[in-house]
Amino acid sequence: MTALDDPAEQTTTSAGGDSYALSTAVAVAPPPGGAEAAGGRSWVRHLARWGAIGLSLVLVGTLGYLWFDSRVPSTYSVLDMGYADFGGGAVPLAGHQHAGGVSVATLTGPSTGTPAVLVTLTARKESFTLASGERVDGYTLNHASPGPEIHARVGDLVQVDLVNESVPDGVALHWHGVRVPNAEDGVAGVTQDAVPVGGRHTYRFVARDAGTYWYHSHQVSHEQVKGGLFGALVVDPASPIEHDAVLQVHTYDGRRTVQGATGERPISAPTGQPTRLRLINTDNGPLPLSVTGAPYRVLAVDGHDLHGPTDISDRGLMIAAGGRADLSVTPPAGGGAVRVDLGAGSSLVVGPAGASAPAAVTPSAVVDLLSYGTPGPVDLDTSHFDRDFELSIGRSPGFLDGRPGLWWTMNGHLYPDVPMFMVRTGDIVKMTISNDSGEVHPMHLHGHVALVLSRNGVAASGSPWWTDSLDVDDGESYVIAFKADNPGIWLDHCHNLPHATDGMIAHLAYEGYTTPYVIGGKADNAPE
Amino acid sequence: MRALYIWLSRLIALGVVLQVLFVAWGAFDILKNAGDGVAFTEDTDANVGQMLHSVVGMMVIPALALLFGIVSFFAKVPGGVARAWITVGLVVLQIVLAFVSFDAPVVGMLHALNAFAIAGIAGVAGARASRASRPDTSVAAPVGSSDPGVTAGA
Repeated sequence: MTALDDPAEQTTTSAGGDSYALSTAVAVAPPPGGAEAAGGRSWVRHLARWGAIGLSLVLVGTLGYLWFDSRVPSTYSVLDMGYADFGGGAVPLAGHQHAGGVSVATLTGPSTGTPAVLVTLTARKESFTLASGERVDGYTLNHASPGPEIHARVGDLVQVDLVNESVPDGVALHWHGVRVPNAEDGVAGVTQDAVPVGGRHTYRFVARDAGTYWYHSHQVSHEQVKGGLFGALVVDPASPIEHDAVLQVHTYDGRRTVQGATGERPISAPTGQPTRLRLINTDNGPLPLSVTGAPYRVLAVDGHDLHGPTDISDRGLMIAAGGRADLSVTPPAGGGAVRVDLGAGSSLVVGPAGASAPAAVTPSAVVDLLSYGTPGPVDLDTSHFDRDFELSIGRSPGFLDGRPGLWWTMNGHLYPDVPMFMVRTGDIVKMTISNDSGEVHPMHLHGHVALVLSRNGVAASGSPWWTDSLDVDDGESYVIAFKADNPGIWLDHCHNLPHATDGMIAHLAYEGYTTPYVIGGKADNAPE
Repeated sequence: MRALYIWLSRLIALGVVLQVLFVAWGAFDILKNAGDGVAFTEDTDANVGQMLHSVVGMMVIPALALLFGIVSFFAKVPGGVARAWITVGLVVLQIVLAFVSFDAPVVGMLHALNAFAIAGIAGVAGARASRASRPDTSVAAPVGSSDPGVTAGA
């Protein structure tokens, strides 16, 4: 091809030719009629042209490959995705456990025995009216959202029969924070198949730890939990608590509610006596609260009592998404009430009927659970660890199942190339969770409760802080420890559920166990 | 190829205009809902305007810009490659500015300013390309005064 074959050259004069040459960064001036120079120029332009074609192919090819490679199959086992991380501990001879092993379907609760608590929950997709009057299109259990409050006493055998009447995507119920046997964990595609419309599933487990918990769907959970498919589970201690109230905070269609009602909620409480407020954050973001009118104490976090809680009067508290906090509030003598402000126009007025509470005051700081309370006995030997895992959260551009975007990463990789934390029964596990992603992530480990050891290198100095839903803020690094004493395959994910949908899901797998369930498949399992 | 180049430049400029419309819709929707008592937290769904803004901004315009950059190699438009790849660069910058703005909202003003730059450079690229395909006007060219490629010969 000569210069004259180029349509740009033909239709324009030397002006066009010059600028094209410049545009391709070939700064060769056109010498008047020099045949040799014209030949050289043609050669350079050939090179530029093939260079452009090559560059385009490389660009398109790379993006195409990244896109193709990111696609997640419609059906797969969580055991086949990502990579095994043995945390410096024992590696089984067979390597990453795939086939064989004990099926998690066998890890059920007691199959015999009369349940002390027996509940049937019927799930429906329907529109319902909030206690404060607003209509919501969402999901209900027994025609209510929040669903029925389940109360058990420590040691009780609990049986819940889940019936799906009209939830098209199917349902599964997860017992958030409760250390149930793996087959009762309620994660569609990992511990069971989603219950289709017309189907039913029975959960049976013994309530081992007294405290405040909740249950929610773990099938298409980012949509079903948001739409109302959840409820409270309270495990009472052997000696009952005299005054308490369950307070589930949830945002329906942008309206923050407590126990399904917007606005101010009166809690009848006697003057001069402590009332235990069991707050449950069922939302995706952190719940900031403040208390005015009297000092308060944080009695428990994530269902586990704190040791030596002290009065707080000038600080608020932050509850992680999925997390719980039990507060002790004592209406002061003199007939006034205490206000617990839950943000977004929602609050509690705790006191004798008709008593008014002072207006909310936004505190300048929040309680740091790392140093709140006093050290106490810990039923976990943290002098030696069998596994030492790292979970670093970041954010990076790329393709997630074919969709381009800026996505969350775990240990530098996008889903499904995420770690499978491998343990053996009895291991003491240390896990360092660091976050450099620009946003807070409420990390939730199923089936276990973890002890917070340190944050940003500062050791915990207050009460033992046991957690199952831990807010790891941007720039923070937590070290937690737990005992691997509940065999099975467990999710370890972000409880900002849309983040989980975008791939913030890792797993903890016990060596020698396998799951017969798959993500996708006939049941269309989609846990997140 | 040149026709495709011109059309891509127009689509990118049009995309930016749509983005302005969508983001205004989203902002007014928030104000209206806030007036009705809806709280804006992590649990508030993005409204339609915001969702369109995000899809067009994260997928449609970047894809168009990339295609624009590639097509520019073969469109033989004077100065066209540089303008197309500046457009690509500004689109990348635009996404970076958007995510920085979530943490530092005031940076959002640069995001808006950069949007005009994208529409401007894409618009100029298209205008130059269509002028270049009409020989008589391209030579006359008082416009060329700002374009070293044109002045060199004119």
